[in-house]
Parts: sequence; structure tokens; C-alpha cells
Amino acid sequence: MTTAAATAPVAPQTKPSTGLGFLMSLTLLGLLLAMWIALSLATDTFLTANNFANLMRQAALWAIIAMGQTFVIITAGIDLSVGAVIGFCSVIVAMLLQGGFPVWASVLITLGVGVAIGLFHGFGIVKMGLPPFIMTLATMTALRGIGLLMTNGATISITVDRFTDFSRGALLGVPNLFWMVILVAVPAFVLLHLSRWGRYIYAVGSNAEAARLSGVNVSVVIFLAYTVSAMLAAFAGILTAARIGVGVATTGDGWELQSIASSVIGGTSLFGAVGSVHGPLIGSFLLTTIANGANLLNINPFWQRIITGGLIIVIVYFDQMRRRRR
Amino acid sequence: MSLAETTGTHGSGPPPDRLGAATPILELRGLDKRFPGTHALKQVDLAFLPGEVHAIVGENGAGKSTLIKLLTGVYPRTSGEIFWHGRPVALATPHDAIALGINAVHQEVILCRHLTVAANLFLGDETASLGILQTRRMERAAQAIIDDIGFRIPSGVLLGDLTIGQQQLVATARAATRGTKFLIFDEPTAYLTRQEADQLFALIRRLHRQGVTIVYISHRLEEIFELADRVSILRDGSLVSTARIADTDEPTIIRGMVNRSIEDVYHKEEIPFGPPVLETRGLTGRGFQDISLTVRTGEIVGLYGLIGAGRSEFVQALFGRHPKTGGSMILKGEAVTIRRESDAIARGIALVPESRRDQGLCLNLGVGFNLNLPIFRRLTRGLVISLPAQREHADRQIRDLRIQTASRNALAANLSGGNQQKLVVGKWLSHGADLYIFDEPTAGVDVGTKVEMYRVFAALLKRDAAIILISSYLPEVYELADRLHVFRAGRLVASHSHKDADHETILAEALGT
Repeated sequence: MTTAAATAPVAPQTKPSTGLGFLMSLTLLGLLLAMWIALSLATDTFLTANNFANLMRQAALWAIIAMGQTFVIITAGIDLSVGAVIGFCSVIVAMLLQGGFPVWASVLITLGVGVAIGLFHGFGIVKMGLPPFIMTLATMTALRGIGLLMTNGATISITVDRFTDFSRGALLGVPNLFWMVILVAVPAFVLLHLSRWGRYIYAVGSNAEAARLSGVNVSVVIFLAYTVSAMLAAFAGILTAARIGVGVATTGDGWELQSIASSVIGGTSLFGAVGSVHGPLIGSFLLTTIANGANLLNINPFWQRIITGGLIIVIVYFDQMRRRRR
Repeated sequence: MSLAETTGTHGSGPPPDRLGAATPILELRGLDKRFPGTHALKQVDLAFLPGEVHAIVGENGAGKSTLIKLLTGVYPRTSGEIFWHGRPVALATPHDAIALGINAVHQEVILCRHLTVAANLFLGDETASLGILQTRRMERAAQAIIDDIGFRIPSGVLLGDLTIGQQQLVATARAATRGTKFLIFDEPTAYLTRQEADQLFALIRRLHRQGVTIVYISHRLEEIFELADRVSILRDGSLVSTARIADTDEPTIIRGMVNRSIEDVYHKEEIPFGPPVLETRGLTGRGFQDISLTVRTGEIVGLYGLIGAGRSEFVQALFGRHPKTGGSMILKGEAVTIRRESDAIARGIALVPESRRDQGLCLNLGVGFNLNLPIFRRLTRGLVISLPAQREHADRQIRDLRIQTASRNALAANLSGGNQQKLVVGKWLSHGADLYIFDEPTAGVDVGTKVEMYRVFAALLKRDAAIILISSYLPEVYELADRLHVFRAGRLVASHSHKDADHETILAEALGT
């Protein structure tokens, strides 16, 4: 290999660690703020406490699954099951609560179910050698089926007020659901950006063979990433159940795609080894703002889908251009 | 256009005195290329004569790759002029280059592994009738080309099933059969065995006889003396000299390349041997059997053999890639079974693998990241990695190994081959080990980097480490190894002390003749 870049100093390149990620998310943050300002000027209804709390609640759920999805995508994998896990876990938590389990136990058991699903994904990918796309496509299909089977296709109403009130509550003027995002984001940031396991996740996504030869236990890293994703999806499933007051196997339909879109808008590369915790956070807020704004502007819901699709293309295109120039 | 036909029609032959006053087929005047922060080529004047084999040498970063990319239209030039048969040409896109008949064969084969040889030969130029591919006809035509170059494989096999050397021949055949008049080889033999290289040389000579002008880039100077009519030396983006091969010699070329005389490329110091670090007794596993050898501290043990002789498989078993199936392995006096890479690392074995790109580096991550990858555990304070410790370790290796990089945050992909190799070595220096295994450590790196690599060997030995060195380049293992073991077909067939046999003997042992 001979490249001209050898002796002469190379144009400064920044690795996708916190430094670059932070700059990049600042630009996305700018876009988000610009949208908020524009919507505040264009409508009377956007900048109201009620609407803003609503926006935060909706974004919170997407943000949580997008963060989990990002762990998986950085290893150059994909988790298509997150939407199905949300539906399935909303059913589980509802059944447990209606079965008389205390709230704390229901939540913990449901999170445990999420962990088990993640471990199963890891097993299929590492031990059986299945491609992540196929493995999680299979569980996505099967989990919906199991959920429907368990409920016979019906919804399970949750009558535990302490549980359902939580999602409507607020602390210090901030909706409880948004506090949950922070509860997830802080440890996720520590794990991905500050701990050695985070480094290993990037290394596996960049070159699993090199990571293995450097002593990284690649299997454990893959198990870790899918477990984080499934556990966060289970958590989002619990919060969804609390928000709508029912457990439904079909809830969260298509959310796996929302989580992938939020992650990619937030700068994650589907080829692996590039991504952050803060990127998908902002990405999910952007997507939610687009949906919320379109509602307030009375845009036909059919058009909303078209606009969202177009904006994803535009945002990711400009983001990639900017990074390539760097 | 039938390709078999094309190879045939070049037969008119070059003029008797190719190096005479003929109009250059391609001439560069004041060719200049700047990248942001880099002046890659500085006012290069160079003329290629029709039908010559023109070698270009230079260290990594001397501008060879940039020159190729300008000649093949991959990069636009910053300034300067290019003349084709005396007429100025734009040569701004790859399409321009192909239209003129300029083609390149790269070090790494850039073809589709999942398609057949025939499909690869005709990729982008398929024969179709009413929109239906004429697979049979293409396979027949491809077979004619392959037979014609004396290369015995069926054209219907998948490219990925061939060895790298055979793939390189297919790439060359492909480049040579599209009306090519000017063919550039960029280190084509970096990953080839001697036999594969010989096959490639035969093909190159054949093209040469057919009147194709050839530019040949290689770090292996002996190849240049074997093939070239003239040689040009690049250093730091400037042309140092162009000379007829008959009028120059190896020391002159090396001096031109590195601007210093290398008294002793194979830097070897007298280091006393200590106790054995590793002993294997009848070790058997996938791809090798019954290997018994000893490696002591302060010693370089060389493993020589053709590709596929079982050397890489043997060291991979030492490193836990595939567990042994028989025999024993004694590490520092203790019988051990190594089941996975992390066992090997924990027990003080480090492997610098054969392919930096596929096995050695996380290319789209930073220089510092790669250097620290094996030691993140050690850099962890409590739950998190200490950023100052991480910076300090990375910077120390960059300094000690003289890794040329803009910063520790630069991506590994942006480093030259030699500097990438230093990264792979550097991560083990950070970690520390008792036994270092180097699998083809100097493939595709320049003389200057090789010398630095050999100095690293000496430094490791002085720190009471032991080294296993695998190389397909005989002079390297011959000069450096204190003990040289020859592998053939998975077995250890001969062992020599330092320089106690000549090259021919060792080569014959490796070939089994």
C-alpha cells in the first residue's frame, strides 16, 4: 500500500468519538431549534406547555429505543424486533399488573423478558451464525404472534392507577417520561463513550477480526449490544403501556423503522463503528417535531408520511456530505 | 470486440530500439498535485517511451500512488500538462484514461469474488444477444484468453475460489485485453508467492513483447532488475532521477529513495539467548502436523515456506484461533492449551497478523484507538477509561515508533501502508508480550519502514522477548532468523542455524525438489 498521505501531514481527521459527535449534534441541534422557532411563529399552538409536554412524551419513547438501536447498529448489526418487543412487553406488563403483581415486580420481570429476548438474539447471531437482519426479523414476526396468541387478539386494560398515572405526571415541570430518557441516556453514555465495553462495540463494528485478534471477546460484545437494545425496547413497552393504559400486542407497529431513522439522522452509520448516544436522541426529537408540527399545521396525514420520508433523505444526505468534506 | 483477438493483434512488435529517440507514448510536464495540507507531487517531468517497461520506485508517501491516480484519471491534476503521443490530453476522468488505452492493475484485486472468471473478464463489456447474456460464448472467449496466457484454470470457476495470485493474473488479463496500450502495475506481487509472481512476470513479458508500454511499481528491487528497461525514483513527491536499468544498481536506487545509504538493511545485533519461551512437541492441528520447535528469549525463529505450507495455520493455533488436535505446547515451562485469542494474549503471546486491513486494524477508527485496543482494560479507572492515560499511551507509541500521522485522532485508513503496519505492531508494544509472532510483517512496505521494523525486532529481543517471524521473502528470514525452519505441506521439513545453508538449498526444501 502506498498512499500520498504518508509523509506529509494529513488534513486533520477526527475519529467518531465524543469530540466529532458533539460538533455534529450541535448542527442537528441547530436544525431542531430552527424548527421549533419556525413552528412557534407559524402556529399559536406549538409553544404551549401542553403541546410541548406532549411532544416530549412522544419523543421520549422513540429516543429510548433509538439509543438501544444505536448500540446494535454501531456493531454493524440491525435490530428489527424493537417494535414487536414493545408490543409484546406491553402485553406482559399489563398481564402481570392485572394478575396482581406489584408495580415494581411487574416492571422488573418485563425488563427481564427484554433481556432474555436480547440474549436470544445474541445466541442466534453468535452461536447459530444467523445474519442479524434475519434473526431479528424472525423474532419480530414471532413475538407479535405470541403476543396475539396470549391475548387472543384483545387489549388488556390496566386498572392500576399508580402505574398509568406515572406517564401523565411531571417532576419539576418536566414530564416523567422525559426523565426516563435521562435515566437511560446517562448510563448509556457512560457505557458507550466512557467504558472499555463501549470501545469494544466500536471495534467490533469496524473490524471484528482485528478486535478478536486484539483480545476482545467479540461474542460477549454482540450479546451486550442486542441485550441493551431489547431491554430498552422492553422499557419503552412498559412506558407505552402506562401511557395508553392498555397492553396491546400490535402496539409499536413500525417503530423499529422509527428507531433506525432516528439513529441514522443522529449520525449513526449503518456500516458500523460510527454513532453516539446523543445523536439518536436529537434524531428522535427531530422526527417527533416533524410529526407534531405537521399536525398543528393541519397537514393531511397522508402528506405527513411523504414529507417525513423526504426529510429523512435530505437530512441524512447533508449530514453525510458535511462529514465527507471534513 | 473479441478479446482473444485483441491480445493477438498487438503482435506487430515494438521498434528494435525502444529506448531510442521515439516520441514518448505518454509525457508529463510539470505535473503537480496538491491535497489540502499535502503537496503530493511536485513539478514532475517524466516521459514513458512506447513499448518500454518503466519501473517507478519510492518510499511510501513518495507520490507513486498519486501519480497512478493522475495517470488513470482518478484525481484531476492541480497543474501541469500530459501529452499522449505528443498531443495534450485532459485525462480528467477514469473514462478518459480507458478511452486512450491506459489501464491499471492494483495490489489488491478489485473484482467480484462471487462471479466467475469469465464474468469478471467481461465485466462491463458483456456479450449479449437481444439483451440476453451469451454466457457460453463469453466463457469460450474467456477460456481462449486464459489458455493463451498459459494459465490452466477453467473460465467457469468463481474468482473467489482462486488463490490471490491467480486472481491477480485474472485482473491482469482483464486489464490487458481491452485494447490497452499502457498498463500500470501497482505492487502486483505484494501478496504473491514466488511461483505466482513468476507466472505474472511471464504474462508481463508477453504483454511487453506485444508492444504494450508497462509501468511497474514495486518495493521489491530484485523484481525491477528482472523486468524493467528504465527506472525512475520518486522521493517526497519529486522526481529524483530516471536511469536505464543497465546503468544503475541497487545501492544507488536505495540511496535515491531514502536519501541516505542503508549500510545494513537487515539490522541484526548479537543478543544472547535465554531460556525457552515456547516449545512445541509434535503439535498437530488444522493444516499442519507434528511440529516440534523451540523459541528462546532473544531469538528470532524464522518460518519459511510457500503460501499454504502451514506456517500461518501453525501460528494461528499457537494463538488460539483453531485449537490443536494433538501434541503439546509448553509456554514458559508450563504445558498449556490455548482455546481462544484472549487466552493467548493473557499468556503473553502477541500476533501481528498477515493482513493489516482484514485482521490487523479498525480502519475507520482512530490511530489512538487502534494502539490502545488491547489495553483498554488496563486504562480503565473504576467504570470508565481514563482519557489522559489513553492519550499518553497513544502519543508514546506514535513517538517511539515514529508513526507519521496528523494526530492520534486521525483515522487508521488515512495512514500509508508502512505506518499502518507500525500501528499493528504498536498496539502490542503497548500491551507487552513474551512471544511476538510476526506473519509477513513487511509485505508491501518500503525499505525505510522495513529497517524500522527490524530495529523494533532488536528492541523487543533486548527486552527478553522472543520472536517468530513468518516471511515469504527469503532474504528477510535468511538474514534475520537465528534459526530457520522450512515448512512444506503442513510439515516441518528442514531446520537451519543462522545462514548455514544457501538460498538455493532452502528454496529447494520449500519446493520439495
